[in-house]
This record gives sequence, C-alpha cells and structure tokens, in this order.
Amino acid sequence: MNKFFYPRLALVNLKKNGNTYIPYILTCIGSIIAFYTMVSIHSNKGLDQMPGSINLKTILFLGIIVIGIFAVIFLFYTNSFLIKRRKKELGLYSILGLEKKHIARVLFYETVFVTVISLSLGLIGGILIGKLLFLLLLNIVHFKSPLSFHIDYWGLLITTGVFLVIFGLTLLTNFLQVKLSNPIDLLKGGQHGEKEPKSSWIVTVIGLVSLGAGYGIALSVKTPLEALMLFFVAVVFVIIGTYALFISGSITLLKQLKKNKKFYYQSRNFISVSGMIYRMKQNAVGLANICILSTMVLVTLSTTVSLYVGQEGMRRDFYPMDVSIIGEAGNTDFDEVKALLESEKEKLMVRSSDEISFDLARFRAFQEGSHFLKDMVDDESTDARYYERISNITLIPLDDYNRLTGGNKSLAENEMLIFSVGDNYGQATIVFGDQQYLITEQLEAIPMDFKKTQDMGQTYYLIVKDDAVMEAVYQTMKNDDDPQTTLHALMFNLDGDEDTLNTFSANLRTAVTQSNPDINIQNLYEALTELYFFFGGFLFLGVFLGSLFMMATVLIIYFKQISEGYEDSERFEIMEKVGMDKTEVKKTIRKQILMVFFLPLAGAIVHVAFAFPVITKMLAAFRLTNVTLIFLCTLAGVVVYALVYTGVYLLTARSYYKMIH
Amino acid sequence: MRLLEVKNLKKIYTTRFGGNQVQALSNVSFSVEQGEYVAIMGESGSGKTTLLNILASLDKPTSGEVFLDGKNIVTIKDSEISAFRRDNLGFVFQDFNLLDTFSIQDNIFLPLVLAQKNYQEMNSRLGPLAKRLNIEEILKKFPYEVSGGQKQRAAVARALITQPKLVLADEPTGALDSKAAMNLLKIFSAINELGQTILIVTHSVAAASHANRVLFIKDGEIYNQIYRGSMSNDDMYQKISYTLSVLASGGEDCE
Repeated sequence: MNKFFYPRLALVNLKKNGNTYIPYILTCIGSIIAFYTMVSIHSNKGLDQMPGSINLKTILFLGIIVIGIFAVIFLFYTNSFLIKRRKKELGLYSILGLEKKHIARVLFYETVFVTVISLSLGLIGGILIGKLLFLLLLNIVHFKSPLSFHIDYWGLLITTGVFLVIFGLTLLTNFLQVKLSNPIDLLKGGQHGEKEPKSSWIVTVIGLVSLGAGYGIALSVKTPLEALMLFFVAVVFVIIGTYALFISGSITLLKQLKKNKKFYYQSRNFISVSGMIYRMKQNAVGLANICILSTMVLVTLSTTVSLYVGQEGMRRDFYPMDVSIIGEAGNTDFDEVKALLESEKEKLMVRSSDEISFDLARFRAFQEGSHFLKDMVDDESTDARYYERISNITLIPLDDYNRLTGGNKSLAENEMLIFSVGDNYGQATIVFGDQQYLITEQLEAIPMDFKKTQDMGQTYYLIVKDDAVMEAVYQTMKNDDDPQTTLHALMFNLDGDEDTLNTFSANLRTAVTQSNPDINIQNLYEALTELYFFFGGFLFLGVFLGSLFMMATVLIIYFKQISEGYEDSERFEIMEKVGMDKTEVKKTIRKQILMVFFLPLAGAIVHVAFAFPVITKMLAAFRLTNVTLIFLCTLAGVVVYALVYTGVYLLTARSYYKMIH
Repeated sequence: MRLLEVKNLKKIYTTRFGGNQVQALSNVSFSVEQGEYVAIMGESGSGKTTLLNILASLDKPTSGEVFLDGKNIVTIKDSEISAFRRDNLGFVFQDFNLLDTFSIQDNIFLPLVLAQKNYQEMNSRLGPLAKRLNIEEILKKFPYEVSGGQKQRAAVARALITQPKLVLADEPTGALDSKAAMNLLKIFSAINELGQTILIVTHSVAAASHANRVLFIKDGEIYNQIYRGSMSNDDMYQKISYTLSVLASGGEDCE
C-alpha cells in the first residue's frame, strides 16, 4: 500500500468534515494564542523593572493557570463532540476492511495535521497578537516608557509542550473510543435509541435548595469581609443548583407540562415540549456549562471594568493628601526633610500646595462601646467581628488643630474633640485604659482627612488638650511594635503633570530615606502606579479571559446547533410528510432554538442580578463604593454580552435552517 | 364512485445545472374506485416512487392531473397543501417514520394534534383503532422499545386515525420479517374490507397479491394490470409472478 495512503486519507477526512473541524482548529489556535500570550507577557524581562509589577505578575500567572485548565477541558469537550459525530464514518471504514490499527493510524495522522496547523498558526498568531496585547496591557497600566517585546523562545517551548500533551491525550481518548467499540456500534454511534429521560424530584429539589442557598447568601451578605469569605461558597451553591436544575428541573417541569393533556395536545406545544424533553436530556450539561461560563464572563467583566473605571475615585480614599511624610517626633529632623523637599521641588519645577504639619500619635484599639482596649476581651468573636471592632485612632494636640483650622477652640484636661471618618461616634465619653474623657464636640471636618465609607472597623481623629495628654494616652495604649514616641507629620498636595510628579516622587523618597531610614512616606503618585498595575492587570486578565470564555460559549453553541441540525432535519421531514406545513415547521424550529439559546443567557443574567449585592460589597473591600458606577458597568457588560450572544444565535440559526431544508 | 383519477401524468426531472433530463413518468393514467385496494408494482427506477410522491402531493407533476374525490390536487395552493394532505391522505412508509421523541400514542396523535382536534376526540378515535391493530399494550412505549412489526402497525394507526379518504403505503413490508409482513398485510385486507381505500406501492409479490387489483409500471408507463376477480391470494401470487417475469424478460407478449 502506498505509504502516503493514511496521511492522504486523514487529510481528506479533515477537509470533508470541514464544518466541524475548522471551528475546532480555530479553537485550538485561539487557545494557543491565549496561552502563549500570557506566558510571554508573564516572562517579559522589562516588566520586572517596573514598580508594582509583582502584583501584575501574580495576576498574569493566575491567568496562565486558568487558561491552561480551560484549554484542557475545552479541547477535550470539542474533540469528544467531533469523534462522536464521526462514529458512523469510522464504522464504515472498518466495514470496508480497515482494521482498528489502520483506523488508529488515520486518527493519528489527523491529529498530527491538526496539531501542526494549530501550533504553527497559533504560535505565529501568538507572536503577533501577543505584541499587540502587550502594548495594550502597558497602556492599561499607564506605563509610558516603551518596552521591547521579543519573541519568547522559552514561552514557545512551554506552549508547544503543553499543547502537544493535550493533543496527545485527545488522540489517546479517540484510540480508546475506537478500540472499545465494534463496527456496528460505530455505525449506529450517532443514533442510539434515545430513551426518554428520567426526571428526579430529589435532584430538582436539591437544585432548588442549593440555588436558593446561593442566592440567600448573596442577598444576606452585610459587610465586604463577609462578601469575600462567602462569595465562593455562594458560587459553589449556585453552580450545583444550576447543573441540577438544568439537568433535572427542566425535565421535571416539561414532564409536568406533558401531563397536562389540554396544554400538551395543542399543535404549538406538542412538538416543542416533547422536543425539549429530548433535547434537554442531551444538552442539559452543555446548557448549564454555557450558563455558568456566561455568568463567569459577566461577573469578571463587570468587576474588572468597575474597578478600573472606579479607581480614579478610589485613590483619594486611600490618600487624603498626595504626599504624607511621617516620622518620630524626637528622631527626625523635619527641617532637613523640608530642605530636601524644597530642593527636589526646585529641580523638577514642581509646586506643592495645602501644606500642613502637625504632631500626632497613632495606635489601634478594640472598641467596646465607649471603651477602647489594647486587646480584645470577647473570645467568642469571629474573625469578621475582630476586624469590625478594630479601630484606627489618631491623636492630635489642640494647638496644632487650631493652627490648621484657624479656630480657637479650647479643651480641658479630660475633654476631647472627635472626628470619625465613617459613622459618627455617637458616645458622650471615650475611655482609654482607666481614664475617661468627655467628648465635647463631634467634628464634621478635619484638614487631614475626610468622611468616607468605612468597611472594616472605624477611623477616629481625636483632638486632645496638649502634647502631655497625647503622650499619656499614647503610652497607655501603644503596642510593643509601635514607635516609642509620638510622631510628626508633613502633608501636602502636588501640582504638575503626572510624569514629572512620578519622577519627583521617586527622587523625594530616595533623598529623604537616605538620611532618615525609618521615615514613612506615603505618596499618591507612587501608589497610583501600583494601583494601575493592580487594577489594570485585573482588567487585562478580565477582558482576556472574558473573551476566551465567550469564544468557548460561541463554539459550544455552534457545535450544538450543527449536531442538532442533522438530527432535526430527519424529524421535521417526517412531520412535513404527516401534514405539518413549512411555516409551522419554521415557527417550531425558531421556538426551540430560542428556548435552547436564551435559557442559559437568562439564567446567567439572573445569577448576575443576585450576585450584584455581593459584588458591590466585595468591591467595597477595594474601596470602590460607587454602586451606580458598578451597576452601569454590569449593565453595560450584560448588554454587550447579550448582543454578541444574539449575533451568534442569528449566525448559527441560519446554518441550522439551511440544514433542515 | 371514483375516488382517485390520474390523467396523463408526466414527470421530468432536470438535473441541477440544466443539461440532463430524466423522464420518470411519461404518461400515466388510471383510476381507483372508492373502497378499492390497489397495488402498484414495478422495478426500481420504474417511476413508482415518483408516482406515489405526486399522489401524496409531496411533488408536482410536469404535466397531467390528479383528482382526489373530484378535487385537483395538482392545483392546490402551497399554503393549503399540508392541511389537505392531513385531512385526506394517510401515509405508511417503509421505514415507519415514527418520531423518536414521541411515545407510540403521541406519534399516532400527531396528525390530529396538527389538525387541532381536542384530546377527548383523539382518545375516542384511538381506542377502537388500537384494539383492531393490536397495539394497545405498546401505546405508552417509545418507538425504539418496540419491534418493527409493532412500529409499522403504529404507523398504520397514525395513517388511519385521521379517517383519510385514501391510504398511501410505500413499500410497507419492506423493513419487516415475513411473519410481521404477513400480519400487516392481513391488517390491510381487514381495513379494506371495512371500506378503506388503499393504494400500496411495492415490489413484494406477497404484498401485492393481497390487493384487488395490481398495476404494473415500467419505464414510466402503466404496462399492465391484473384484476383479482375471484382469484385466491395464491392464484393472485402466481399470476403476479408470471407477469413480473414477462415484464423482466422484455414483455413482448402479455396475456
């Protein structure tokens, strides 16, 4: 036999099955591009030199893992779909006299072709698109200086290795399929007698209960901390519920409909209901997959976009003033710091404003009503309660306060003014150790901070009579790792363009910490870089994974329609013979496709709606509290997704109709 | 009374890109009386299936007319044709054409559901029919759970439940073993005795020998016909066999 026989047969097979193999190969190429891009961006040397790239790298690494797992699952899924569809063909080969080992050889060559095509196009695509995406990433994280993006040979190697393993495994499962079956089975592979599915009330009830539990958790979450902890529990419940309801609940419902004779024996319901029962049996898992994938896409997109869009608002929450320099009052020479500051400002022509300086003492304490304690007494408290009780307290002497506000308030030894960043303090007294102080006024504003929502514990500013009182309270309350003495702070805002300010911030830090290693400098512009990297990285990954999941969803839908088209065409032919007219056939088809298509989307949207409270709470942990913004981002995500989804529906529905007629 | 009248039927298939023309029916005329049981025989490619498709209003002739109960089915509008088919014709196919997604009962109900009959009526029609066809036990089962003979009887029930003027059967015994085939043919004879007009297309001599009249079709034309008269099924069988062999050997002389 000609030694090219098998390769040629394999090639012919691929061509003949083009309408399923081309999407499959495209899937492979897409996965390879995604994987290589992530690997190569992750290992880019230039990225290491950027401040804050650690976070970004962690996020990207997460992405590599997710994409890897995803590729394995997804390629296996599509491959099993393809081989199922081709059983008849393979059966025919074995009846025509090809032995199993010959069929295996054909399958081997097919896999080789698919692998070679996918890997070569995927890697080339990865190199091209990778560069594009890298530039996009740099743009998202506001990184200005150009970084070179080389072809990453190591990445090429890893990607090739990973995908060779995946393709090898799919080939093995195909071998197994052929080995385990006889020709007759293969011939009939596509048309096993479809048993009417059994519905189980128990599974349905489990589904309802666990979906209810998931939604219940989502709705009952009160604090961001709870949200972070319970989110995954809720997700697991919802996933279980989704699968159970798609698999069993749908069939239970349809069977109930079928029992209602009046409803069932109407021409418009008759065919849809029985068709749906049959279809749900085959597709329940697939539809549940689509539903969960869609939910993931929507949640990922809406949270990452919200974070990215919302970060402008968030940064002020972290840093009330652009720069704050805080050092121990006795050990730091603030005159020198100021001199350094002036000279740095002059070098880059940066101007500062709103400069304030004051003495302060800072410590943490546990709040029990009006009592503030060094340690917690309530042992039954959970972790969440621990973080809710903890409060950050800053003491400021009255004369600094008066100087900064231009006021002339006065206080007695045992009196204090209080400013609470979050909810108002509300108590008439405050107790530190065994000393009780009277709160004479609840301040509405303070120069160094402002009102904002507090998610974990409270932040209080207390104005005390003088340094002596401050010192006394501090010494009572301070923990072992707090500084020995009280502190002095210098805070100011900066004016200028962002690039200059970035350089200035870096220079200032170097200059000041050289002479004062213990000094604490917080700088909005440095932090911004980190924030951009953090949220930008998230956004990048979110959009990246979102697109990938979307691609997966689209492909699952496409394959589903194709396979159903073949089966349904036979069925509708019979119905036409028995006296169903073409317009009725069309109507019925449309109704069925619509249901199958939009059930998962509707499910996903309901999931997202219930997840929304949790999402807002979780984002609050990242200091994003603008619920309107989150809502708009989520809404936009849902709309865009629904549009893409509908587009896919229209495209596949068309090829489906073509198949029927 | 004439139930079906076919006049000068002609059907020419043109291949998709023009060019070749194949004449499937050249000139077919015959008629079927109310209550008759007619078999149409012919070899593969003789035009049987084309004829049946035209009678079933699934296909249109190139020229000629077909009257069913006085109505010309060739000129029925497309929008009415499905309803017409549903109300007037019953079909039995070689490969049963039962839908896997429906139970036997629902398969039988299908044409009535499409005609929007109510459930009580459907049920009252099904009862006696199922008894006659001996399928009462399998009504709740699905097509893949029952034997070929049972499937075909279910298909017959589906054809009869609309009380059609004419039952068209296309090679109904083709996929059945001889016992099931004989059983089905007895059923056809029995329902014919009750007054049902039946037209079957077959190349099984056994199947044709149950009919009152056998039409032979060759190269798109009616070639010959045999009336049962007072012949038994066995005599009929002999006569059909003889005619077929004459037909096959070129058919210079017949009768």
